Amino acid sequence: MTGMTRRQWLKATAGGAAATLPLLRIARAQTSGPLRVGVILPRSGVLAGIGQDLYRGVELAGPILRDLGYPEMEIMEGDTESNVQTARAVAERLIEAGAHVLVGAFDSGQTTAIAQVAEQKGIPLIINIAAAPQITEQGYRFVFRNFPTAPTILSNAFQQQKEIFARVGAAPKTVVFMHVNDTFGTAMAGGIGAVMPKFDMPYRIVETIAYDPRARDLSIEVAKAKAAGADALLMVSRLNDAILITRELIKQRWTPQAVLSMGPGWYEDQYIKTLGKYSDGPMSFVPWYDPKKPLSRKLEEAHARAYPGTNLNTNQVFTFEALLIAADAYRRAGTTDPGALAEAIRTTHITDNVSIGPGIMFNEKGQNDGLVDATIQNVGGKLVVVAPEAAAVADPIWPMPPYDAR
Amino acid sequence: MRRILEGASPRARVLLAALGALLLAAPFLVDSYVLSVLIIVLFFAYVGQAWNLMLGFAGQLSLGHALFVGIGAYASAALFVHFHLPPWAGVFAAVALAVLAGSVIGYLGFRFSIRGAYFALLTIAFAEFTGIAVAHVDWLGGSGGLFLPVSNRAHDDLANLRGSPTMFYYVILTLTAGALALCSWLLNSRLGLYWKAIREDQEAAEALGVPLFRCKMIAVAISSGLSGIGGVWYAFYYNNLFPETTFGTSHSIELILATVVGGVGTLFGPILGAFVLTPLGEVMTALTEGIGIDGVKPFFWGLAVAAIVLFRPSGLWPWLYRLLALGNGTRGGPR
Repeated sequence: MTGMTRRQWLKATAGGAAATLPLLRIARAQTSGPLRVGVILPRSGVLAGIGQDLYRGVELAGPILRDLGYPEMEIMEGDTESNVQTARAVAERLIEAGAHVLVGAFDSGQTTAIAQVAEQKGIPLIINIAAAPQITEQGYRFVFRNFPTAPTILSNAFQQQKEIFARVGAAPKTVVFMHVNDTFGTAMAGGIGAVMPKFDMPYRIVETIAYDPRARDLSIEVAKAKAAGADALLMVSRLNDAILITRELIKQRWTPQAVLSMGPGWYEDQYIKTLGKYSDGPMSFVPWYDPKKPLSRKLEEAHARAYPGTNLNTNQVFTFEALLIAADAYRRAGTTDPGALAEAIRTTHITDNVSIGPGIMFNEKGQNDGLVDATIQNVGGKLVVVAPEAAAVADPIWPMPPYDAR
Repeated sequence: MRRILEGASPRARVLLAALGALLLAAPFLVDSYVLSVLIIVLFFAYVGQAWNLMLGFAGQLSLGHALFVGIGAYASAALFVHFHLPPWAGVFAAVALAVLAGSVIGYLGFRFSIRGAYFALLTIAFAEFTGIAVAHVDWLGGSGGLFLPVSNRAHDDLANLRGSPTMFYYVILTLTAGALALCSWLLNSRLGLYWKAIREDQEAAEALGVPLFRCKMIAVAISSGLSGIGGVWYAFYYNNLFPETTFGTSHSIELILATVVGGVGTLFGPILGAFVLTPLGEVMTALTEGIGIDGVKPFFWGLAVAAIVLFRPSGLWPWLYRLLALGNGTRGGPR
């Protein structure tokens, strides 16, 4: 029936267990080193693409921080598999294996699960990306976030739109608001509806068009937007639909004054690669880096060498900064004791950083509330910061160059 | 306990007693990482048991069980967040709502003779649109997620389910043991026999006078209620709920995988399956850590699961039961 006697099975099971335990121990033994940083990212599962992009920030950080004289760090990798349960178990595993600091994890749910473990164990967690405001509202003492919360991102976007309108001396009077109808798009639409009235914007939304991000054809939606006769497009999209909409704009011979994007898609490498010269023009409002800061230039150069033909992006910038924070805290604390490291992180004051704003420092909740988003415009296949003015390296191009004149 | 051990050989009794003792002592024997793995194992064993009751016992395939877990989780969490209602009180609302949802699905399915894959589709549809609906309800946190307040406490607060992983471990261990006892009792009851008759041949069962509709509705109600209780534990352990991940089909699949691997329709299958799958994942992580290729672990884990299903299509438990001679020969097969 089984091809195996009971005795053989018991022996095999015992042998397997005996072989497995040392493997787990080997994994732990391999993690000895100076400052052990457990980097927990969603490197497989539905968020795998983003997780792998985030990890580029880790790869870039090593040589740059070494050059800057920061102490050596040992990276312990953890994959959340895009899953909350796994995220929590990975955090436990890395802490048991000797991690002194944790970094992660992009997704707010997974980050929350890790934060609880970090807090229980008294191991500092430096959040690279996760926008849910609640994470730093829990009274945690070991959780620090160097990324703006969702309401901050939206507020910054409207502030900077007004700044751009003032600088170019023009503003749309009407916009069509197009957004994907998935949970992200719907949440953003709700957020925009709540935040926009506070900013007294010069335009009004004449039409709101929700669409399926998996749609194969958006010609009707774009025709409807064009027929509304609006001056500009306000977008919350993802990648594929951003490409589809641009193709429809070209086909239907409509170049709005501006495409103002408050989500991903329009600034991604794939968008630029696919559309070439037609990718120029859209403005995206995103947490970004300050290209005028010296460390940003170093990071840009390292990125260009390591990943030619792609642009440095939010994922890499904030993961890099999370490691910068860990290295800086370790240098000041002079010990790997997690309590001392947490105290050092709490008193972080890094002005030689890359993100926009006065620098990296945390409030009493562990949130860096000095962060400012950027407005980036696609120009000649590059992403150019056009606002805020302090970080801008070019003036905004307004209106967008017509698609049929490129 | 007597019913669980019915038909078990002395060896099986010793093994079960040893396993029980080990599980009771686990928090004192293992580190926090292994404890966190054991907590996940027990959660999947518990929810797998609830799902097994519906398919394994009563023959009704649900691929949307995340719905009932999600409803239980959201109901208790929202009551805790908004009205400070402790989970031990919130669990009543959680169970009531989960049973209501299960009853609606059951009524539609059984009254209109929606069977097999079509019934499974119905359960998926309910889970999906509930997820979408929750994403639009601000009171439930919308798509931004519902977060339970967390604080570090010096002592475990069992009444409010706020405390250490050890406390959550014992709670889920108790739930799993309770579900095992309940399922064992049900399986041996008249209702359990009716369920088995329906599972084997619905028409024949009906011809013999088995009240199909009532029996199936009871199965769905108990299964969804148990899942709702699991949801309460889930919400308070993880402290955050997002509609997409809580109600998603991938979550439903995750919840039933242990039972499929362990043995559908058996009492110990969900438990064995959970004890195999989750640790297998952790061992794969350790084995593939040095390879440096993203996604290699889930790949090999998937291969291992496929191999188990391929070589032991009835699940691991029936095979193990015979291999270790766990029966005393008085009953036909593995339980």
